[in-house]
Amino acid sequence: MSAKSRPVIVIYLAFFALIMCAPLILDPFWLNRIAKYLVFGMLGVAVALSWGYAGILNLGQGLFFGAGAYMLAMSLKLASPTSLQQGSDKPVPDFMLWNAEPGSPTELCCINKASFLWLPFQHQWFGVVMGLVLPVAIATIIGIIVFRKRISGVFVSIITLALVLLVRLVVIDAQPVTNGFNGLTDLAWFKIGEFEFDPYIVPTYYFVAIALCMVLAAARLLIETRAGLILQAIRDDQNRARYLGFDVPLYQTFFFAVSAGIAGLAGMFYVVVSEFASPTFMDLTFSITMVVWAAVGGRSSILGACIGAIVINMISATVSETAGFAEAWKVIIGLIFVLVVLYMPRGLAGLAHDLLDRFLARQKSASQRAVSASDASQLAE
Amino acid sequence: MSQIALTIDGLGVDFGGFKAVNGVSLTVEDGELRVLLGANGAGKTTLMDLISGKTSSTEGRVFLHDIDITNWEEHKIARAGVGRKFQIPSVFKELTVRRNLEVATCRNPGVLANLRFGFSKQAEQDVDRVLDLIGLTDEASRLAAYLSHGQTQWLELGLLITQNPKVILLDEPTAGMTQAETHKTSQIVNSLKGKHTLIVVEHDMAFVREIAERITVLHLGQVLAEGNVEQIETDPKVRAAYLGSKGIG
Repeated sequence: MSAKSRPVIVIYLAFFALIMCAPLILDPFWLNRIAKYLVFGMLGVAVALSWGYAGILNLGQGLFFGAGAYMLAMSLKLASPTSLQQGSDKPVPDFMLWNAEPGSPTELCCINKASFLWLPFQHQWFGVVMGLVLPVAIATIIGIIVFRKRISGVFVSIITLALVLLVRLVVIDAQPVTNGFNGLTDLAWFKIGEFEFDPYIVPTYYFVAIALCMVLAAARLLIETRAGLILQAIRDDQNRARYLGFDVPLYQTFFFAVSAGIAGLAGMFYVVVSEFASPTFMDLTFSITMVVWAAVGGRSSILGACIGAIVINMISATVSETAGFAEAWKVIIGLIFVLVVLYMPRGLAGLAHDLLDRFLARQKSASQRAVSASDASQLAE
Repeated sequence: MSQIALTIDGLGVDFGGFKAVNGVSLTVEDGELRVLLGANGAGKTTLMDLISGKTSSTEGRVFLHDIDITNWEEHKIARAGVGRKFQIPSVFKELTVRRNLEVATCRNPGVLANLRFGFSKQAEQDVDRVLDLIGLTDEASRLAAYLSHGQTQWLELGLLITQNPKVILLDEPTAGMTQAETHKTSQIVNSLKGKHTLIVVEHDMAFVREIAERITVLHLGQVLAEGNVEQIETDPKVRAAYLGSKGIG
């Protein structure tokens, strides 16, 4: 623990307090919006962990976000009232009927060739578990192949970028099971016990906010462990770490998978607050936008990247809805990004760290002066 | 008679017809400091690559004590007890000097075993001792990126000392150093004698004289001569290899 750890804890707690207080001043519409941005903040954490701490620039984080989102959305789609109104006693998604071949049975097992995949999703918690397991499993497989082969740097970015586009294409193409380009809409509310998480109520906001706080704290603690330190060492010099005896691909795969798990979790929460899942989650622009959030917030800071995501989204929402900027808001966001990269390469978090260092140094010299002054007064006596 | 720490038996590598190292055999005793000499292209660095697993050998074997470590994965060879310093100094630049050394104290290679906070008192003491030895106590909380070239080299030596392997391979530890820095490096290296088995590749003869006990001269991938400093300096074969068969002028 360094001298800086106490101020860092204070900053984290202040952030937690801030997002916990938001419902006091916000109307339901904005509360729902901020809840979405908190979900994006969770994505920022995932990007910071893999880019800032593991040195793996994943340009396909949307793949894991999308995987998490679709898994939960499948469950919520089956729980939706419309799925029960298709003339079968078991739920069947409405779009499957629209796409069904004439004469096929209105049953989830066999309405089309792949619809049986939906069967276990009749349990909401199966979707939840899969929303974590699927991204982690995909990341582990990618990690084992890529990192064992010692592929690094820009090549990992290209591979992840290609993968997210590939999966997006498959999801759009598999219309009978995924509703293709339209995605999954008209979903039921997420339920815990009898409680339904209506996206526009305060408890739903707290559900997301508490989850974000837990993710932040867990990610931060994770990088404070020895494994987190070794991970940063690997980021700085893979070879050196390897010759100190560390199994480098194992570390990279582990943290890549953790980052994917966080992204998957974010995907699920996004479905809870936005009530849809769509292939746009796997658009290239979305994955790159996440990287921009982290860059602006500070990629080597878990909290920085999270705040970056929230702040950029708030700015773009406000700017894009201001009449004068309605046409130009993307230019403004782009300009902010360019300025940050040029003048604050470590992002907002880097700026905060510098200010904190200066503050600590001043405090230290002040206390030294106080000590020497008291020494002097003792001498005078 | 002391034990043999490292045995190299007929080691060689064939790079598509070119044999950078060709049937090298040598044994290094426990606690010995062995210097590898040789002109450019003699195969010194390649030999280190073969021992540490960076390059797979095509013939021969390497034993660490009695364990056959030939062509193991690098991190396994490192775990077995072979540490290596690179020609181009490599440290963890975005971590502080102290954190660099703390990384090297982690004895367990796995991820899950390292999911814990802080370091043992023993580890912290080791780090303090090494910081003192490499003379970077005052720089402990600086980022490694801000160290001078010489300090970076010492920090990498410090990583090796903290790692505490049986055999340490040093590839040109004084490259790019001033005379004063070279001298300090030789003191650090000398302090390791006896505790570790060292193999050092070096060109700087002043440095070699300060540290060397036995020298092995490589030439065109083969062992040309072996002996102490005096024997090597007067060996006619070595003179011929370095200066051409007719000597200078």
